[in-house]
Amino acid sequence: MFLLKGVLSIQAQSTLSNTFNLQFVFCTETKVSMAMRQTPLTCSGHTRPVVDLAFSGITPYGYFLISACKDGKPMLRQGDTGDWIGTFLGHKGAVWGATLNKEATKAATAAADFTAKVWDAVSGDEVLTLAHKHIVKSVNFTQDSSCLLTGGNDKTIRIYDINKPEAEPQEITGHTSAIKKALWCNNDTQILSAADDKTVRLWDRTSTAVVKQLSFDMSVSSMEYIPDGEVLVITYGKTIAFYNALSLDLIKTVDAPASIHSASLHPDKDFFVAGGDDFKLYKYDYSTKEELESYKGHFGPVHCVRFSPDGELYASGSEDGTLRLWQTEVGKTYGLWKCVLPGEFALFHIEH
Amino acid sequence: MRTPMSVLRLPRGPDPNSRGFDPNSPRFIALCSTTISSSTDTETDSVQIGEEQCARSMLRESFLRTLIAMTNKQVQFYMYERVKVNAVFGASDIDVLNFQVSDLQTPIGVQKEALLRCQDVILYSFDL
Repeated sequence: MFLLKGVLSIQAQSTLSNTFNLQFVFCTETKVSMAMRQTPLTCSGHTRPVVDLAFSGITPYGYFLISACKDGKPMLRQGDTGDWIGTFLGHKGAVWGATLNKEATKAATAAADFTAKVWDAVSGDEVLTLAHKHIVKSVNFTQDSSCLLTGGNDKTIRIYDINKPEAEPQEITGHTSAIKKALWCNNDTQILSAADDKTVRLWDRTSTAVVKQLSFDMSVSSMEYIPDGEVLVITYGKTIAFYNALSLDLIKTVDAPASIHSASLHPDKDFFVAGGDDFKLYKYDYSTKEELESYKGHFGPVHCVRFSPDGELYASGSEDGTLRLWQTEVGKTYGLWKCVLPGEFALFHIEH
Repeated sequence: MRTPMSVLRLPRGPDPNSRGFDPNSPRFIALCSTTISSSTDTETDSVQIGEEQCARSMLRESFLRTLIAMTNKQVQFYMYERVKVNAVFGASDIDVLNFQVSDLQTPIGVQKEALLRCQDVILYSFDL
C-alpha cells in the first residue's frame, strides 16, 4: 500500500477506481465527521506514567498544557499542537499534580518529595518551594494567581499567599484520609476537596468550616470544576456524576463500561469524555447520556483527561507514559490536524 | 472502512540537550522582561532597564569565565549538612544544575568521577 499525491480531475475518478480499486478522500466541512477516523496525536517525552494534566486559559500566545508525571519532570506543551516547550526541573520525586494559572505565566506542581513548587511558566525557573509534611497531591491557583491551594497525604488543605510565601499558610482540617484533589470554586470564596475518606467536601474559605459534604461508597477517582455554569464532575467506580457546584445537588450520573479514572465536560456542555482502566477514551452526549464514540490508542489505563479551553480537543494522560490529543470534531482542520480540500489535491491510498 | 484524519506532522518532543523554554520564542521575549527587577516598578525607565541588563551581562560573563578558569583545578565545595569536599572540577551542564568532578575526596573514600548537584552547593572556592 503506498500513498500518491497529485492533482486529479473528478471525471477520472470512476474509471480509475474500477481498474485499480482506488479510494478517494474528499473533505467538505459537512461530510467530514462521517468519513474520517480519529487520529490522536501522541506526545512522547515522559518516561513513566502521566498522572495529571491541566490546561491554561486562552492567552495571546495560544493555550498551554502541563503534565504531571511519576518521573518527577513535569512538562509544558503548546496546547493546540502538543509541541514540547520545556521541562520543569527540580522535584526529587514523582509529581502527582500540576496546574497552570489562567495566563500561563505561572505553573504549580505537587510532588512525592513533600513539596509543592511554583514555577515561572515562561522561563521554566523555580520561583517557590513550599515544604509540606507528607506527599502533596493537588495544587490550584486562584483566578488572580495570588493564592495557591494545596492538598495531600497529610489530610490538610493549605492556602498559601504567593506574594508572602514565608507567612504561615491558612490550614483547613477535617478530612480523615489523604486528599486527592482540592479546587477553588464560587469565585475563590469556597473550596471543594475530594479525599480517600470517600467524601467530597465544600468549605468556606474565610470560616474554614464545612458548608456541605457528599459521601460515597468508594473513593472518588477525580474531580473537575467548571466555573461557567457551576458544574462539578466527579468520577468513582464506573460512574461519571455531575453536581451543582454551589449546592452539591446531583444533576445526573452516567455509567461507563469500565472503571473510570477521569472525566471532563466540554465548555459548551454538549459532550463529556472519560477514560479509565480499559485504556479507552469514551465520548458521551451530555444531554442524552448516550455513548457516542470510544477510542483505542493508549497502551495503559487512562489516568487523566481534560478538554482544552476552546473545546476543540481533549488531552489524555496514561500509565503508558504518553499524552494523547484527540479532536472533538473529527475531520476539522485544527492544530496539526489538516482537512484536505476538494478539487485542489487528493490524498489517496492504493490497495492491492 | 473510515479513512484516518490527516496530520501535518507529529507533536515535537523534548530536546535531549536542554530543559527548553526557548529564550528566542516570542512569548519569552514579550513576557520575560518581568524578571528584571526594575521593570516591575510602575515607572520604568528604558535607560534603567538597559543599565541593569548591562550589569547582568557583565556578572553572567564573569561567572562563565570563572567556570572556565576552574577547569582541572582543585576546588573546595561547601555544601549543606556541613559537608566540605575537595575535587577536581571538570565541567558544568548547560543549566548549571550539575558539576562534573573527578577525584572527589569524601569521608568514605575517593570517588574517581562524580556529579555534584548544584542546588546542594552553598559556596565553592579555588585558587587561580
